[in-house]
Amino acid sequence: MTLYEGKVGRTYSVASINLSTPVRRRLEILGMTEHASVSLINKSLSGAIVIKIRGTRFALGKAFAKGILIEGGAAT
Amino acid sequence: MSKAVHVAFVGNPNCGKTTLFNAIAGTNLKVANWPGVTVEKVEGKLNFQGQHFILVDLPGTYSLTSYTMEEIVARDYIMSDEVDIIINVVDASSLERNLYLTLQLLELGKPVVMALNMMDIIKERGLELDLHRLPEMLGIPVIPVSARKKTGLKTLMHAVQHHSERHDDKIEHHDHGAKNSAGTHHHSHHDEYAMVYDDDIEDRIDFITALLKGSGPSMSNYRWHAIKLLEHDAEVMKTITIDLQGLNDKNFETEILNERYTFIEEIMEEVLPDRDMKSESTDRADRLLTHRVLGIPIFLCIMAAVFLLTFTLGDFIKGYLELALEWFGGAAEGMLLNISTNPILTSMIVDGIIAGVGGILTFLPNIIILFIALAFLEDSGYMARVAYVMDGVMSKIGLSGRAFIPMILGFGCTVPAVMASRALENPRDRLKTILATPFMSCSAKIPVYVLISGIFFGGYAPLAAFSMYLIGLMMAILVAFAAGRLDKKKEENTLLIELPEYKTPNPRTVYVYVSQKVKDYLTKAGTTIFMASILLWLLLNFGSGGYVGEGSIADSFAAKMGAWLVPVLTPAGLGFWQIAVALISGLAAKEVVVSSISILFGIAEADSAALSTHFAQIGFGPVNAFALMLFVLLYVPCLAALAVIKRETRSWKWTGVSIAIQLGTAWIVSTLFFQIVSLFIK
Repeated sequence: MTLYEGKVGRTYSVASINLSTPVRRRLEILGMTEHASVSLINKSLSGAIVIKIRGTRFALGKAFAKGILIEGGAAT
Repeated sequence: MSKAVHVAFVGNPNCGKTTLFNAIAGTNLKVANWPGVTVEKVEGKLNFQGQHFILVDLPGTYSLTSYTMEEIVARDYIMSDEVDIIINVVDASSLERNLYLTLQLLELGKPVVMALNMMDIIKERGLELDLHRLPEMLGIPVIPVSARKKTGLKTLMHAVQHHSERHDDKIEHHDHGAKNSAGTHHHSHHDEYAMVYDDDIEDRIDFITALLKGSGPSMSNYRWHAIKLLEHDAEVMKTITIDLQGLNDKNFETEILNERYTFIEEIMEEVLPDRDMKSESTDRADRLLTHRVLGIPIFLCIMAAVFLLTFTLGDFIKGYLELALEWFGGAAEGMLLNISTNPILTSMIVDGIIAGVGGILTFLPNIIILFIALAFLEDSGYMARVAYVMDGVMSKIGLSGRAFIPMILGFGCTVPAVMASRALENPRDRLKTILATPFMSCSAKIPVYVLISGIFFGGYAPLAAFSMYLIGLMMAILVAFAAGRLDKKKEENTLLIELPEYKTPNPRTVYVYVSQKVKDYLTKAGTTIFMASILLWLLLNFGSGGYVGEGSIADSFAAKMGAWLVPVLTPAGLGFWQIAVALISGLAAKEVVVSSISILFGIAEADSAALSTHFAQIGFGPVNAFALMLFVLLYVPCLAALAVIKRETRSWKWTGVSIAIQLGTAWIVSTLFFQIVSLFIK
């Protein structure tokens, strides 16, 4: 499942990042490494999302949201 | 006096680093910068307890790899011999992510003091941070500060003073990971380094260090270079070319990154055990402000309020400034006459410089109000939400949501709007935004719309003026869309923006932000306008026969130039030399179009009744008038805007392209309008 398909209000674990190397590096530096836990906070009508990772909120465009594979999904 | 201690301020974007820097550097502040966008390093000075400090603010950065220019600039500077000590500014409310940079700073081998900022947010959330355990885990002093309330600053500088010369303290770090594995690595590094990697990586670091000591270039920090070689860091790989005997045969970047975050998790468990409590106030505000349906309407209401303030309040103050300017111009003229100054010189000073430069000064109230509002939106944390809310709309024209902010600002003034495009990370997004922004009808064009539509369109005048805003917006979107289409490199939607916690804007940050804008506006635009005003006056008052004076302006160079442009402007219904000169003079500032028209037609004030007679005499009707408004809306913005476009694109080529697009669309749109409408209305 990708982050784009995730449910708002749930916390997932990052399985892998399927994006170009520079984008993946940027995300990793922000703490989005494999197995890091990521909470989906908000989703816009156009597919942009708000996530919280390692204590910080980020807004991500739709293409990024679709490139991040996740697993789990506990309610928060 | 002892040697000055160089202190580098390093931290993540949005950690309050610049606010802290301003608070410490105080009145000795040399240059301020954009929140979140310290483009170059900025210096300040401080005397503290007899010690002289040079404080250096570096660009906010998440890491010290070498993937972006900012990171390389920051890293090279920190590694240079000049820096004696690092102040690592850390946002306590997102400690976990901030610590990633801290771990990298520790590896640079320079003394580090942590300034733990935003502790009040931690307290507001009802959390407790273990301030004794954190320094133990990291082996550096940790000083809680509040950049906004200016607390803890003395303690921080005291710690800096103490630690700037103590490079080789023995520290006993928390031996992380040791409880889980016996460990086969034969060195214990925990008394030397906070961040110790797993045995395989540590072995490799030791071997590479030995190789570097044997045959590598001389360097001060072997361990850091060894780690960077394992990470395949592009810059370090370039400088160190010795044979590493396959020790870095693969890229260990991801392993190293994961180990750092594993250590950070250990730290977090120790110092902030109940960190998962929700940051409720921000979440509550976001439920409304970033609502999937209401988000956009709320944003539009906020912007409407901002512009209402900018125009009503700004124009109110502007009226008084104009009166003052008029008085000053009159007084200056009187004084110059009294001391019998040459009338030509008097005319140049009064009609040229005071009218030109002074005219620009009257827009200062609008600029200040707009930027106070902007600083509020930005410092409160809302601006980042706008990028998220508008991302869907903007992605349809090939831009990320962030690009919307500078475009909206273009309604006020193109100069700050183009500068605001700096906040965009992607250089191509930045360029597209800079190309589109001048089409957003700026406030300087209002006098033109008011005068022209007042003469020709009677009761429909407000509608005619309003249509300019819509046409301008449409052209901006069209240009951005076309630029996106021509852009061969297709990129994914690049929105990636941190949404900081909401906070009350800090007066000092707002002040620094606004005063910087005002200074920019006065100096950069002022010098350009000053030169342009003199040039314009010369062209209007001199002809091939020398000084022509006001009476025979038709013999001036300006009139000749205007006549030369007539054939080009005729298809657009603007083939009158006076109009041509007015348009040329409008390059100095758009309001000048209005004043030029009155001077050119020999009328003291912009008297619409008299003007309409004159217009009728030369055969300039309503269709010509609307074409003129279209042309003024779309053609090249003032010189100040061009100067800022040049400064921001750092390219003559793109400045030229921008001018060509504006002149092209202005001519095409007004010609199309004039030709088509002339078919029906005769």
